[in-house]
Amino acid sequence: MRVLLQSTASGILIGGVYALVGIGLTIIYGVMRVINFAHGELLMIGMYLTWIIFTSFGVDPFLSIAITIPAMFLFGAFLQRVLINRVLNALPQNQILLTIGLGLVLSNVVMLIYTSDYKIITTRYSSSTINLAGLPISTPLAISLLITTVITAILYFFLLKTDTGQAIRATAQDRDAAQLMGINVKRMSVLAFGIGTALAGTAGALVSPTYYIFPQVGGAFTLKAFVIVVLGGMGSVIGATLGGIIIGVTESLAAVYVSSGMKEVFVYVLFLLVLLFKPAGLLGRSRM
Amino acid sequence: MKTFGRIPLTASGFAALPLLIVAAVVAALFVFPWLVASPYLLHLMILLFLSVAMGESWNVIGGYCGQYSVGHAAYFGVGAYAALMLLQYKHIAPWWGVWVAIAAALIISLLIGTICFRLRGPYFVLASIAVAEIIRLVVLNWKQLTNGAEGILLVDIPPLMLGGRLVTDWLSKTPFYYLGLILALATLLVNYLVQHSKLGYYLQAIREDQDAAHSLGINLSFYKNVALAISALFTALSGVFYGLYIGFIDPASVLGVDLSVQMVLICIIGGIGTNFGPVVGALVLVPLSEALRANLLSKFLFSIGVVQETSRVGGFLKENLAHAHVLIYGILVVVVILFMPDGVLGFGKKLIARRARPLSATPTPLVGGLDGSA
Amino acid sequence: MALLEIRHLFKFFGGLAANSDIVCSVESGMIMGLIGPNGSGKTTLFNCITGYYPPTKGEIIFKGQRINGLKPDRVCKLGMARTWQKVRPLAKLSVLENVMVGALARTGSLKVARRAALHQLELMRMENRANSLAGSLSIGERKKLEVARVLATQPELLLLDEVMGGLNPVESEEIIQLILDIKKRGLTQVVIEHDMKAIMRISDRVMVLNSGEKLAEGTPQQVVSNPDVVTAYLGSAHVA
Repeated sequence: MRVLLQSTASGILIGGVYALVGIGLTIIYGVMRVINFAHGELLMIGMYLTWIIFTSFGVDPFLSIAITIPAMFLFGAFLQRVLINRVLNALPQNQILLTIGLGLVLSNVVMLIYTSDYKIITTRYSSSTINLAGLPISTPLAISLLITTVITAILYFFLLKTDTGQAIRATAQDRDAAQLMGINVKRMSVLAFGIGTALAGTAGALVSPTYYIFPQVGGAFTLKAFVIVVLGGMGSVIGATLGGIIIGVTESLAAVYVSSGMKEVFVYVLFLLVLLFKPAGLLGRSRM
Repeated sequence: MKTFGRIPLTASGFAALPLLIVAAVVAALFVFPWLVASPYLLHLMILLFLSVAMGESWNVIGGYCGQYSVGHAAYFGVGAYAALMLLQYKHIAPWWGVWVAIAAALIISLLIGTICFRLRGPYFVLASIAVAEIIRLVVLNWKQLTNGAEGILLVDIPPLMLGGRLVTDWLSKTPFYYLGLILALATLLVNYLVQHSKLGYYLQAIREDQDAAHSLGINLSFYKNVALAISALFTALSGVFYGLYIGFIDPASVLGVDLSVQMVLICIIGGIGTNFGPVVGALVLVPLSEALRANLLSKFLFSIGVVQETSRVGGFLKENLAHAHVLIYGILVVVVILFMPDGVLGFGKKLIARRARPLSATPTPLVGGLDGSA
Repeated sequence: MALLEIRHLFKFFGGLAANSDIVCSVESGMIMGLIGPNGSGKTTLFNCITGYYPPTKGEIIFKGQRINGLKPDRVCKLGMARTWQKVRPLAKLSVLENVMVGALARTGSLKVARRAALHQLELMRMENRANSLAGSLSIGERKKLEVARVLATQPELLLLDEVMGGLNPVESEEIIQLILDIKKRGLTQVVIEHDMKAIMRISDRVMVLNSGEKLAEGTPQQVVSNPDVVTAYLGSAHVA
């Protein structure tokens, strides 16, 4: 029973981070209808950025988020203007291929520069735990859940209450109508990709104290992110939040009760089951 | 009227000149090993044939039908593992094992097809990647069955006997050369037959506009599944061939997403949905990979004096360019998609069409949107 | 027995009744005009009949057979074909190949399909465009191509969705003649149109939809003089 509770708790913690990744991806898809296969690599870049700041300046990974978020946002905006924008009207298949190619370029450039050696960030609290209702909870994961919650709350506020946020949602609902209403949809696309990238990079920063950092780490995250997005309904931020937690718990339970190497298999099988029985996602095709 | 490139075909569907050229090239390929002794050149040709086969196989589902699978390594790897496990562990000759490989690939393709083809949107792409990853992880972790990350090392292939006479004992590259050539030609033939059949027309209709195709009496799921099955079958054959030739397989080399991307790349470089596109793609990729792997590119740069071998840049290049082929793949994908989405052949066709266009312009649509072309 | 019978058809999208209690009978050989303001449910009705949406309630009887829930490809094979409000050419195929795709619904042989397709193109006087890419056609040509392609499936009932939309008067007149020709060939047609003059000329009967409901049905003259129809749709300045 304790094991069940503990692995569920871990799952929720990591699920929060997954949710961030998923939200970023779903915003990108919602606004631009682009399937961003480089999303995991953006997370990886966030991890390396955090590592660089940590090793060069000694800044704690959670604190360096203040730098990571704007830096990744700018990087995402840059990628959108230079690459993604050109394929907004291309065949979806070509969009997918472009982002796949982008992902390959990102991971392999990082590999050239930093080699495939695993890097780790060890802080004072990396392996410590806090006691929550008698269960030992990994401290860094707990902190990351806290930060994730704050960021998600800010994001919801932004999307629901601010003009720009509503403009983004309008663009996601109906691009043409939004344009006719005077919304600069090109700018929305840049914003969306920037936000999506920032969220992915932040997720990377948040898990960097607990995960090995290596160039190929993004791949598994990308696919998981898509599972989350499909599970929650493509384009739905709430769905991605829920989906992230579900995937986190599923993975955690699988790792404990089956094997660590096979935990992803369960996530992907869950994905296929969702496609089979409820392809519109748990919440159905919905607004943001 | 169907055209072969830009040469109009006669009513019977054949044009004399290109056919002669093709026949001549094929004849030359068959004679090649007698004239050329270098095992390295034979090896390159074998790699070329393998790439052609992989590209042509993917073309059926991706190029003609427009369903981009980025998980075709699943069929390749399943084919390779099925044949090699049976051969190495159960001593079942590959000419029997290949049937199991094909059956396995077809079952998986039916599975993916049934789940995804009734859906819209990018689900097929995602599901194809997911299935390939599931298979890779299962193979990686099921050590008792597959030897996990250590892979399977083929000790030897039983000699092939026909009617009591020895055809080959597989000890040189030559039998693999011919096997590869036959495989490549078979996939080219299959592509051609598909293109010039009702199946081909229907697949392309599905690619161009699914709803319109549906309303014209085309059963979408059925035809997509047929295309995927054909594609999976020949991809599995390619996997079997790879396993037999290289003699070693592991999850990373035959089930990885790099391989899936490579198959797509072979097609899109040459020109998606064309018969010869994958050939062009293979002709570009294989020499490029080899040049990278053998450090030819670095050596070339050193020899012409652009970079000093002993300099930092030179050292860096020497160290890393050999492993950079995946990076090059990624860059190629980006470049092709951005600037040449129809591939080399498509790009060429556009150039030719631009020069041949008559002066009378086609009337332009009235106002964007009203003409219904949105 | 009517070729097509629609019995109390309802189609709901969530809470919105896109089609509400539609009752209609289409006799063999006739042309039924289907009119109504934008958003009145005309295309939704077509989509329900041809299998793109399953109706929420009600029955669709085609040639005496209940076809609710049949997929569009089955409906086409049974002999009902439709064109699209926004034309859907198979852009990368030639004009001839487009029509061949239609013809292949009735044969497995490319040779037979090619002959049938050329025949349809000749009837449309489009055979000179046979080798052009469908994507390079003008809007008028695309509309004609779509009709040719759908006729190649040898339907008994043809559903035309605003086939005159976006055409100039010369092109529209061509289409009107085409529709009358198709009638002479023995096909039954249901035509959605906004061009009232055209509807008056070609229709044997006219049905009017408004906000998802059937507002009126009758001969063109009856419909035009129906005060409800005039109020809802035609406006008092209509010229018969």
